[in-house]
Amino acid sequence: MSDLTIGLLYGAATLFAMFSGMPIAFALGSVAVTFMYFFMPASSLDTVTQNVYEEMASITLLSIPLFILKGAAIGKSPAGRDLYAAIHAWLHKVPGGLGVANVVACALFAAMAGSSPATCSAIGSAGIPEMRKRGYSPGFAAGIIAAGGTLGILLPPSITMILYAVAAEQSLGRLFLAGIGPGILLVGLFTAYAVYRARKEYAAAKVIYHGGGAKSAYLDDTVFTLRQKVDMLPRVLPFVILLTGVMIALYGGYATPSETAGLGALLALVLIAVVYRLWRPKDLAPILASSIRESTMLLMIIGMSLLYSYVMSYLHISQSAAQWVVGMHLSKWALLGLILLLVIVLGFFLPPVSIILMTAPVILPPLREAGFDLVWFGIVMTIVMEMGLIHPPVGLNLFVIKSIAPDISLRDVIWGVMPFVALMLVAVLLLCIFPQIAVGLPDAFMASR
Amino acid sequence: MDRADGSGSLVGWAQRAVDKLNKLLLALSILAMVLTACVLTYAVVTRYFLKTPTDWQDDASVFMLIGVSFCCAAYVQSTRGHIGIEVLAAILPGWANRLRLLAVDLVSFLFCAFFSWKSWTLFYEALMEGQTTNSTFAPPLWIPYSMMAFGMSLLTLQLLLQVFAWLLQMKGGNRSGTGASA
Repeated sequence: MSDLTIGLLYGAATLFAMFSGMPIAFALGSVAVTFMYFFMPASSLDTVTQNVYEEMASITLLSIPLFILKGAAIGKSPAGRDLYAAIHAWLHKVPGGLGVANVVACALFAAMAGSSPATCSAIGSAGIPEMRKRGYSPGFAAGIIAAGGTLGILLPPSITMILYAVAAEQSLGRLFLAGIGPGILLVGLFTAYAVYRARKEYAAAKVIYHGGGAKSAYLDDTVFTLRQKVDMLPRVLPFVILLTGVMIALYGGYATPSETAGLGALLALVLIAVVYRLWRPKDLAPILASSIRESTMLLMIIGMSLLYSYVMSYLHISQSAAQWVVGMHLSKWALLGLILLLVIVLGFFLPPVSIILMTAPVILPPLREAGFDLVWFGIVMTIVMEMGLIHPPVGLNLFVIKSIAPDISLRDVIWGVMPFVALMLVAVLLLCIFPQIAVGLPDAFMASR
Repeated sequence: MDRADGSGSLVGWAQRAVDKLNKLLLALSILAMVLTACVLTYAVVTRYFLKTPTDWQDDASVFMLIGVSFCCAAYVQSTRGHIGIEVLAAILPGWANRLRLLAVDLVSFLFCAFFSWKSWTLFYEALMEGQTTNSTFAPPLWIPYSMMAFGMSLLTLQLLLQVFAWLLQMKGGNRSGTGASA
């Protein structure tokens, strides 16, 4: 049987196992072990557990549970609400300032927590009711938060980037730095749209009011005194200092990524204990238990995905598939388009973790051969996977929004996020035209690749 | 949790025992995770402020987090926390869905049973041959292997109990179904 035929069988078996509803980790593991039994030497089955252990026992990969703990500590405390309130107070005079405040709060919180659903939940639970109280349409309010939340996997420290760094054998430091420029670009695009849309809705509300209709809350003035604004800072500043401190520890060369994760997790626990008095076991238990649940689930997927990739490589499936893609002689940009389309489709069903680990052995060699910078591609791929987080049918953030604002219909949420999906596509285009948006920062700050 | 009609039976008793063990392991894992954060912070502090680098923090952290990941796998499974693609659930009729879920748990059980068996073999070899990690600290490898083997065995048991719970539920459903038609 040819390598490509085995590869097709492997792909079909994977699809079957996954769509049967098996947990992703067990589905990948079962398919890998089955193919080892039929197509690899019998002795290879004896090394299954050793392979999984050796792949998992990476201090970089194992920083993931600690980044999750840091995110959960901040995400489940009232820090998100306070951050949002402070930014709203300071930005309320900016046209469309409430929407801008929500986008900026999402970006800052995403950078602190590193998780898209946690960002949606923390900022959205305060931001959506406030936006709706101030007259914003339900879909627009939901769209801002769902899209803002996706910044969690782009801005450092991002768990998705840690996995990409391992799968693509790229420098994690470079990837983290490369995420900052596109993250700021997306914040810029989202805020510009928020201002445009808010002004449009404001103008429509004004026309209705002057025409004798009801007065929308859009037309009410909000005033914050300087004292009110300053009073909001003490609860927010410690977390901004944490964010800055973690970045300095990482890029100042004081700590490795895993040490930064440990330091960040511990400091986050200390901060919520000091600022919010969340130190009793009953306060901390839900935070710690949810971190363990998420980390265990993710690490099991990672371990089995790595076994799955090992089998693909041993059976020459990834090499044959990569050669097949190269053999199509597509132009550089057609190749990129085809691969991004594959990532988008996979993003309909799979979490970013699985997409990266399962596809990396197949898609990265042709991209490398076509001359793409794999750090740059990691950023583009992350933005495309972000779209999967807010795109039907299984966009995770859509369902987070639905759970925190159940009175907004799923239809409104979906239509509300669509302009943001378009803005993400614009960001991908801009990154293709101006790759320095991503690689400029790492090129400037890090000497060699 | 899928324990349906099994709560008064041997399956119910075994599930309660596994739940208690899962809770204990969750508590130990929470401690291990916080301890790992402390260890890594300690390594940074001693290196930069006390100028005494440590060589054990990476091994200790990896061992603890490997322990957390495997020892809590059964707890996560007991809450159905290992995510999967559930598109078929909305399409299939009730009876087919129950059969699908039973098959899914059964195949997962078989895979985890195989993995547990191989993990114990790996643990035994590491213990007998005195295998260590490649680092300068070189702690014995049987420590993480034992946690992997124990965690996967508990996960296998959890899956087996869930398979039995499905069977009991289906049997209960069939019996009540027969009763209704009679």
